[in-house]
Amino acid sequence: MSVLTLLGHLWRRHRLALLCLTAGGALFQWAITRVVPTGAQTGFVRQLFDMAPAPVRVLFGEEMVANLSARGFLGFGYVHPFALLILAAWGVRVATGALAGEVGRGTMDLVASRPVSRWAQVAAAAVAVLVGLAVMAAASWAGTAAGLRTRPLEGVVALDFAPVAAMALMLFACWGAVALLVSAVLRDGGAAISWCSGLMAVSYVLDYLGRVWTAIAFLRPLSLFRYYEPHRILRDGVAASDMTVLSAVGVVALVAAFVAFARRDL
Amino acid sequence: MPPVTAAISTEGLSKRFGAVRALEDLSLSVNRGEVFGFLGPNGAGKTTTIRLLLGLLAPSAGGATVLGRAVRLDGADWRGDVGYLPGEVAFWPQLSGRRTLDYLARLSRRRPVDRPDLLDRLGLGADILARQVRTYSDGMRQKLGIAQALQCRPSLALLDEPTKGLDPLVQQAFYGIVAGARERGTTVFVSSHVLVEVERLCDRVAMLRQGRLVFQGDVAEVRRAQLRRVAVAFAADVDVQALAHFGEMVGAAPREITMLVAQKDLPALVARLGMLPLADLVVEAPSLEEAFLERYR
Repeated sequence: MSVLTLLGHLWRRHRLALLCLTAGGALFQWAITRVVPTGAQTGFVRQLFDMAPAPVRVLFGEEMVANLSARGFLGFGYVHPFALLILAAWGVRVATGALAGEVGRGTMDLVASRPVSRWAQVAAAAVAVLVGLAVMAAASWAGTAAGLRTRPLEGVVALDFAPVAAMALMLFACWGAVALLVSAVLRDGGAAISWCSGLMAVSYVLDYLGRVWTAIAFLRPLSLFRYYEPHRILRDGVAASDMTVLSAVGVVALVAAFVAFARRDL
Repeated sequence: MPPVTAAISTEGLSKRFGAVRALEDLSLSVNRGEVFGFLGPNGAGKTTTIRLLLGLLAPSAGGATVLGRAVRLDGADWRGDVGYLPGEVAFWPQLSGRRTLDYLARLSRRRPVDRPDLLDRLGLGADILARQVRTYSDGMRQKLGIAQALQCRPSLALLDEPTKGLDPLVQQAFYGIVAGARERGTTVFVSSHVLVEVERLCDRVAMLRQGRLVFQGDVAEVRRAQLRRVAVAFAADVDVQALAHFGEMVGAAPREITMLVAQKDLPALVARLGMLPLADLVVEAPSLEEAFLERYR
């Protein structure tokens, strides 16, 4: 009952943002299908990539460079910083706003002084993060599917991108759980956003540096972005190990958020 | 075990924030159906006490029962019977006043039976409630805060500085609201440093200083315990020093004295004055403010 009421409140507060982010993600993936080169053009682009410095090729994904194709370009749309930022923005916004944001604003007193368990507050935030991400991931895939329907590309099937979108959902659900944990222990929404953004940036840079600099490649597993590689998913399918790591980190962070929020002073 | 009539009972309740002792060994009892004033200057620990009673903070030591149930951080159900007005009330700026009240009533899991009456008394009309809270003045926010705290007719209302930011007319309305709530059986716990307000509203009062309880009792008892200011004028010169043993002489002239006298010594003093050429006699009862300030000196 309380969870539903809290969810209704979160919906009212974030529905415009959800609408904008969802539309942005869908339009972006649709736009990618408009600019994907045809088979004849990919040969030329491959030559351009071959001339680019190694770090640049790594940034765009070795697999894509190695297997330059329309599929590869579409896969690039799922690791593009814009696509990642949209999903990250939702997770961080809702997770930090629901706990630390309410504490910092002073509105937590009104909620927590009512028969609403702290468990329900974390659960409502977690559900809102997850549902929003699912909607956005589905919309992104729908953008790809709609684009391919109006501009069919040889050898490219929209359904192949569903697992990629699902893994994007999983990655950012995991980040959402981390954001909830950060939010559960801090007293201010701004500080929680800063911490979450910082953690994500460090993780992203660590993954990138680990790929281009072999001396620190052993650190890559510490980055959550290591477990989300669209081109590998398109080539080999979803790796069970990646799913396992993201699930485990997400569950541990979520449980820690429940425990931390239940025990803290508000 | 606290008495069954206690709406609030604390035993050795303490709270520390690091090295800071916000509340120390508070043992307090508030009876059901009474209006209880919780006095103290800023930083005395009033807000901390209320937040401990609501389970928003975990005590460093001791414990509390509210409406017969032990307070815990996650013991949520009993809070449906409690209305709370925070000292620094904050709302969601983009929500309208009405949506705010609806949302908070739903969270309380009770029908807002007293909302129409409260809104009427506080002057929160439909046009104001339709506006987003971010357009509200401080006073309007405070009125909305009072309405949300009392709209579901709680058994216990915890009101932290309830008249802050209210103009005198609305303060009068608030006093009426508290009187009405008491008639319906609601226990009202009012934290304040406005002594006149507490004197007017409350049956009993507790005073807090630097996190410690310095007094708990009836408002009348506070006044009774205080010294009376007695001003006497004589028609002829008298030996005023012969009256000194009745109390503390604060002003003396051959035909005029001012003394501070304990209530118990008043009858004897008046009897003695009757034997003297008395021209005028004024006995002033102390206000709660004087009583309060005396305890804080």
